[in-house]
Amino acid sequence: MNQRQSAVAHALVRAYGPARLGAGVAAAPGMARLTRPDSTGEALPVWPDGVTPSLLEEHQVAPVPVERSGETRRVLAAVLKCCWSDLSADPWPGDPAPVELVLDTYRELIGRTDDLMRNWARGALRRLHDSAWVVLDDGVVLLGPRCALWPVEAHAQLQELVRRLPEPERAELTVVGDADIVAAARGGSPRDGEPPANAPGDGRAEGVQEGGPDAGGPGGAEGLLGGGRVEWGAAEFDDLLGGYDERRRAELVAAFMVVEHAAEPVQEVRFAALRDPALRHTLGEMLARRGRTLIQHRDRWTSGYDDGVAAAVNALDAAGASDAAGPGGGRLGVSERAVLALVLVHSVAIPRAEGLLPEDSWMSPHPTPAEELRRHTQLPIGELETALRRLRHAGLLGQVKAGEEAGGYVPGPQFHRLTPAARRRLQEELILAAGPNTPLAAAVLARRSAR
Amino acid sequence: MRSRTLVPVSEQPLTLDSVLTDEAVLSTYRRMFAALARDSGAVVDDPALVDIAETLFAAFAEAGEEWLTHEQMRFACRAYPTDQFDNRLRVLKGLGAIREVFPKPNQLRYRASFTSVVGLMFIRRMMDDGGQSEMHRLLALEDLNVADPRTTMEEARQSALNLARAFRLWALELITLTTGTIEELREQAPKLWGTEEIARRAQSLHGTILTRWPELDRVCTDLRAAIYAYSDASRRAAGRLADSAGTTRNLTLLPTETWRTFAQTASKERLAAILDGFVFDAPAPWHDPAAIARAVDEAPRPAPAQPTPPRSTLPDPGPGSSLDDSPDAVLERLTRTAESLLGDAPRVALGDVLGSDWVAARRVLADLTTVDLRPELPYRLVWSDGLTIDPEREPAWLSHGYLERTS
Repeated sequence: MNQRQSAVAHALVRAYGPARLGAGVAAAPGMARLTRPDSTGEALPVWPDGVTPSLLEEHQVAPVPVERSGETRRVLAAVLKCCWSDLSADPWPGDPAPVELVLDTYRELIGRTDDLMRNWARGALRRLHDSAWVVLDDGVVLLGPRCALWPVEAHAQLQELVRRLPEPERAELTVVGDADIVAAARGGSPRDGEPPANAPGDGRAEGVQEGGPDAGGPGGAEGLLGGGRVEWGAAEFDDLLGGYDERRRAELVAAFMVVEHAAEPVQEVRFAALRDPALRHTLGEMLARRGRTLIQHRDRWTSGYDDGVAAAVNALDAAGASDAAGPGGGRLGVSERAVLALVLVHSVAIPRAEGLLPEDSWMSPHPTPAEELRRHTQLPIGELETALRRLRHAGLLGQVKAGEEAGGYVPGPQFHRLTPAARRRLQEELILAAGPNTPLAAAVLARRSAR
Repeated sequence: MRSRTLVPVSEQPLTLDSVLTDEAVLSTYRRMFAALARDSGAVVDDPALVDIAETLFAAFAEAGEEWLTHEQMRFACRAYPTDQFDNRLRVLKGLGAIREVFPKPNQLRYRASFTSVVGLMFIRRMMDDGGQSEMHRLLALEDLNVADPRTTMEEARQSALNLARAFRLWALELITLTTGTIEELREQAPKLWGTEEIARRAQSLHGTILTRWPELDRVCTDLRAAIYAYSDASRRAAGRLADSAGTTRNLTLLPTETWRTFAQTASKERLAAILDGFVFDAPAPWHDPAAIARAVDEAPRPAPAQPTPPRSTLPDPGPGSSLDDSPDAVLERLTRTAESLLGDAPRVALGDVLGSDWVAARRVLADLTTVDLRPELPYRLVWSDGLTIDPEREPAWLSHGYLERTS
């Protein structure tokens, strides 16, 4: 795998969630391979020098906000309690557990039993599934690939947490036992019957951690449910970072993490690796390996998809070749893209045409009223609500609340991450769509064909 | 329609911006009436003067057959200084836009000319889109004309010549703009450049003329060249703007209505196609173990249930069933209490009957007070002023009272 392919692989994971790998296929450098007993697996990126995005907290930089974060994390704790049955092993992959057991555990944790609580918990499970923290499958929950990224040092804290979570009081007379539900789900899994291959890794892995002791699962049936181990890839940036002393290296890693994970562009003065042109150059090289590039907004920086890599991702997408989206793939559906385009028209294009938006940017302080989207568009309400929820969750839309009636939606923090070329293209696409017969559209088309 | 607030000009802070806007408005007026003006000073030199005319016409429309007197006209234009108003009224009267209702001396009532109102509407529209919609209408009309069997070849030639001239002048203006400053281009070009629709209409008109009168091919060649020149100039102006603009600034160049119509009428697929080929991040929040533990600790705990007080294990019929709550029962009980204390006597001292057990005594005292307060019962309490204090006794403080029969 050359550097270009590896960059595209990283971009694919960032855009669509953990990549699914065929049997024996190696993960790109800089990614951990979560290998299943049949040697298929999933790949997702790890961060340099063992840091995690919680590094942002140390630097007092706000990460992308998590929707209903407290509730979501409590539900994740309940899932962990149910799925992490052997505390002497790593949490991932854990064992499957019925959704009902997770809901009962959550109810015990917060001490509420009403239907509203149940709906909230289900919403949180869905969001966790969409972001690959859990896998929801046919009434059964499993820890998702991202749980494999919890650093080993933090496992003790998680163990302690799981021990002090209360066991749910469950009526003895459940119609179907937990084990039966799990067994039924396994039996129904499409990969049923594949022999537990347990093929060796590709030998590139440095440390191989064995998964749960019953990695094969009681039924022997494999697939998404149960079993697996984490193969940590080789350190990715050592050739770039090796020449720097410890302090500079830490500064580079910190800058890398903040531009990749902060919600807003970060101030240049706060990070040495952004201030110093030489360090910034190295930072750019680190990002390039991930298919990313630095984006400057005056004295602030963030990162975005490299234009070439984004084009490659699109080409793969168009060819249907990137069937790599793992659980909870992040591909936007037609109605989601349509709603996003509507918000761009109302929050950016119209205020701009009225001269209310001086800044040359896709961020906007002018919310699109929810009423406008509901009443004055061609979108069915049901699809609209679902799309709004998913777009909010992905940070593509921000919700502005102001009183009972006012407020609405604005383009979310992801729009900071568009490169100048992508921003220009977005403008052109809007003009081509809204005024296809104007000389402006003709000029856009002429420019494109000239290139 | 450009809306202008009716503020006396003298009170408006004269900023550079407002001067520039006013100058732009005036230059349009001048250009439009250049053909009719007697000399270059004949056109208004303050845009507010046109607003006065418009305010006047609006007042006339409202007044209907009542017409307007001079005072009413002045009142309608009260926002403007008197000298400006007088000046305007003089000019409008002089040109016949405002006339006496009956042409005789000392006429007090005035009416407005229909032609002038229409003219003003036309001016305002020209201001807004630089004549694009006029061109549309003109082309549509000419199209109808040349298709009419009564139209002569000479008329068709004249129409083709006129159109060719208009397109050429339009194209020239655009070309001049394209080589000028980008700000001027941004301001003026969208009013001037033609949509494909205009070019298409013009070409169809050209086709109709040529088919019907092949003899006119020379005039038509001119017209065709003019149309091409105009389309080309439009594209070039748009191209220069598109190249110069930032990454969102060109959005200004489509009018708000276009955006609104698009948002309201476009199908889901058409909207979605805009974002085809853009790569966004999948949701990937980080749930740190510490954050998860914190969230669990901060879980909203339900308020602990209040413990019920301990109950006696003995069977307890409770007071609920034993209480007779009929009003008569109360009176009966009070009468019994009073009678048992009084015996046969008409009056007893409380000190004698209550005894030394204060806990029991205060209950009796409460009952007696109730008896006293019930006018229907034939007893009363009488208190004397004396007070006996004896530390040895229980109660140690004793005020002297008597229970008496009242009847």
